[in-house]
Amino acid sequence: MLNVKDRDLVIPGQLLGSDLFYDINCFTENGSVFSCVEGMVRVDGKKVKMVPSNGVYLPKRDDVVIGVISDVLVGKWLVDINSPYLCAMRAEEVSRDAAKKDLSQFFKVGEIITAKVADVDEVYSCQLIKPWKVEAGLIIDVGPKRVPRVVGKQKSMLNMIRDKTGSRIIVGQNGKIWLKGGNVDLAVSTIKRIEKYAQTQGLTDQIAELLDKESAAAGGRFAREEPCSCGHEEEHAENDSF
Amino acid sequence: MEIEAYLKKDYIKNLVKEGKREDGRAFDEYRKIILDNGYAKEKAPGSCMVQLGKTKVMAGISIDIGEPYSDRPEDGVMSTSTELRPIASPKFESGPPNEESIEVARVIDRGIRESGAIDMKKLFIEEDLVWVVFIDIHVMDHSGNLIDAGGIAAISALLNARLPKYEDGKIICGEYSGKLPLTGTPVPCTMVKINDSILIDPSIDEEYGMDARLTISTTDTINAMQKGGNGSFNEKEVMDAVDMAYAKGKEIRRMITGD
Amino acid sequence: MSGGDNDVVLIKGNKRLDGRGFDELRDIKMEVSVLERAEGSAYIEWGKNRVIVGVYGPRELHPKFLQDPTRAMLRCVYNLAPFSVDERKKPGPDRRSVEISKVCAEALSSVVMLERFPNTVIDVYVEVLQADAGTRCAGLTAASLALADAGIPMKDLVAACSAGKVQGQIVVDLMKEEDNFGQCDLPMAIIPRKSEVVLLQMDGKLSRDEFKQAYKMAVDGCMKVYEMQKNTLLGSMNKFVGVEGGVENGD
Repeated sequence: MLNVKDRDLVIPGQLLGSDLFYDINCFTENGSVFSCVEGMVRVDGKKVKMVPSNGVYLPKRDDVVIGVISDVLVGKWLVDINSPYLCAMRAEEVSRDAAKKDLSQFFKVGEIITAKVADVDEVYSCQLIKPWKVEAGLIIDVGPKRVPRVVGKQKSMLNMIRDKTGSRIIVGQNGKIWLKGGNVDLAVSTIKRIEKYAQTQGLTDQIAELLDKESAAAGGRFAREEPCSCGHEEEHAENDSF
Repeated sequence: MEIEAYLKKDYIKNLVKEGKREDGRAFDEYRKIILDNGYAKEKAPGSCMVQLGKTKVMAGISIDIGEPYSDRPEDGVMSTSTELRPIASPKFESGPPNEESIEVARVIDRGIRESGAIDMKKLFIEEDLVWVVFIDIHVMDHSGNLIDAGGIAAISALLNARLPKYEDGKIICGEYSGKLPLTGTPVPCTMVKINDSILIDPSIDEEYGMDARLTISTTDTINAMQKGGNGSFNEKEVMDAVDMAYAKGKEIRRMITGD
Repeated sequence: MSGGDNDVVLIKGNKRLDGRGFDELRDIKMEVSVLERAEGSAYIEWGKNRVIVGVYGPRELHPKFLQDPTRAMLRCVYNLAPFSVDERKKPGPDRRSVEISKVCAEALSSVVMLERFPNTVIDVYVEVLQADAGTRCAGLTAASLALADAGIPMKDLVAACSAGKVQGQIVVDLMKEEDNFGQCDLPMAIIPRKSEVVLLQMDGKLSRDEFKQAYKMAVDGCMKVYEMQKNTLLGSMNKFVGVEGGVENGD
């Protein structure tokens, strides 16, 4: 039984229905399913899913994240990835005999990297792999729960922004987005707009229209720069974009 | 992280499910209360050592002269503080009062103050000069239910307290002019909720296993209440607790006053 | 509470000093997402009370020995600004605010799903900018909005309201004069879904039956507050789903 419709707004503790499949943003009590966050509910047959409006980032396997080296230890780095938990990254990620070397010759404290999340355990401590040093460019903040919309279905939104602004963009699932080259101003204002109106219906079309209008006003398209070698610009977890 | 809490929680919860308590008491039964009035009577105008099961708490009354509060110029002043001494538990540390000790002191204070048990009007000496009553609650052994042990010790010490002699603007040490004027005997009664049962007078292990706690201080009316812990109570549980607090309060009051 | 000062007239006919009926709340206005830096925030105007609440976390908890690998810790700091009351309050925590912080943290812990964030801490900062009795209720009401705004998983909201006894009459939501000269104050907070009490303090004098009546009135008051909380949260999400027209409007 359902007590809500698809795309309804709900608040924590609100009854969604009973005898349903539900996701982590819901909980069940005596057979009834309730939301535990504020946001929008999506209904798909007997499945309900909450799209939370806000929240902190919790690491998930295969996410691309942008973080800062916070400590260099023997054989590993600690990385702050804008989550309640610090992440570790093994020395082997950069060279086979790195464990014998001083790791700060690869990454120093305070340097910014993008990396992929490998394993996450039950208390959210996680391992990072495939690091790439981020130099130059600009990093902006987006609410972690709204990142999936910046990427879009099959990266549709992200590729559109890249095409129309000519910017290189790496989207960290942890709410940090790196941009370089092209019409960065337009890319940033577009991303900020997507963040604000994240769950508007027909958002992609509306954003496309705005991008066309504003990039024309800014004097046409920029040539797109070559992507970096790390591959993170192409890798984005898509399972989250509803 | 408190290991004891993790060690005892499930055990206590399972016992309560079976309708039992670890020391064999009924759910509405207090541990044995032993009062020792005038424990430090050579110095303190009032004092009482209370043993509530294995919990040991001492209350001492000190009386001084001082200025009244500006909004009640003709009333005496009372002040309650609690010290959770490090001797009482491995968890306690020396230092300024923490939130636990402040809560214990304030709940006991409210019970006594709001019941009007101390006749504040009689503590007036002259303009800008009144008696100031300090209640100091000293926890010596923490085996659960500090609020009740402290509250019983405090009111018992107050009932036996003497008012010092005041002459020519000075207190005369060791001499007394009479009893501290008392008009009532407020008694706090603490209950905890474990699973869906209400247990009176929790032991330390039951405090580890509790979902929520409710203290109700009564005379012939309810004078103070305080809910603690992370759980919740429904209306029936609260009303049952009120009835239980009245009934137990009466028994304990009889014991303290001796009639 | 003073035990009832009969010189001050607080009730005339069936009206209170400010014209309210016995079961009427003061005017309440709520708003969420009022702070930029905090993870979640809320502002509440409750009669003459002005309270702002910010939530940080879940974040790493230091020192490390305080960490609990089974759950997050919820800390609350209730702070009365020096200028919030008639006579300047000395800055910093006093015994009253430490106690209020503790009971508020416990009330919020009953709904927040702390087990979701092991080893971390969630900090709730309640800043009272203007106080006129009932600040803990206003603060707690705003705090649960701020937690929801921060996207922290909760089983319900917490709605708070006080009741009390003034000139022998049980009334709801005491204002300053009634708090000072009334006979009893009973601040309460409930989780509305189950109507169970998570904060309950009381001082003054009430008989059993008076308490029962006051308890019921406070719960009714809490339910009214809950409706306002619900509307505030739903209203704040309008932009999120673009109900207010397209994305072009209002940037």
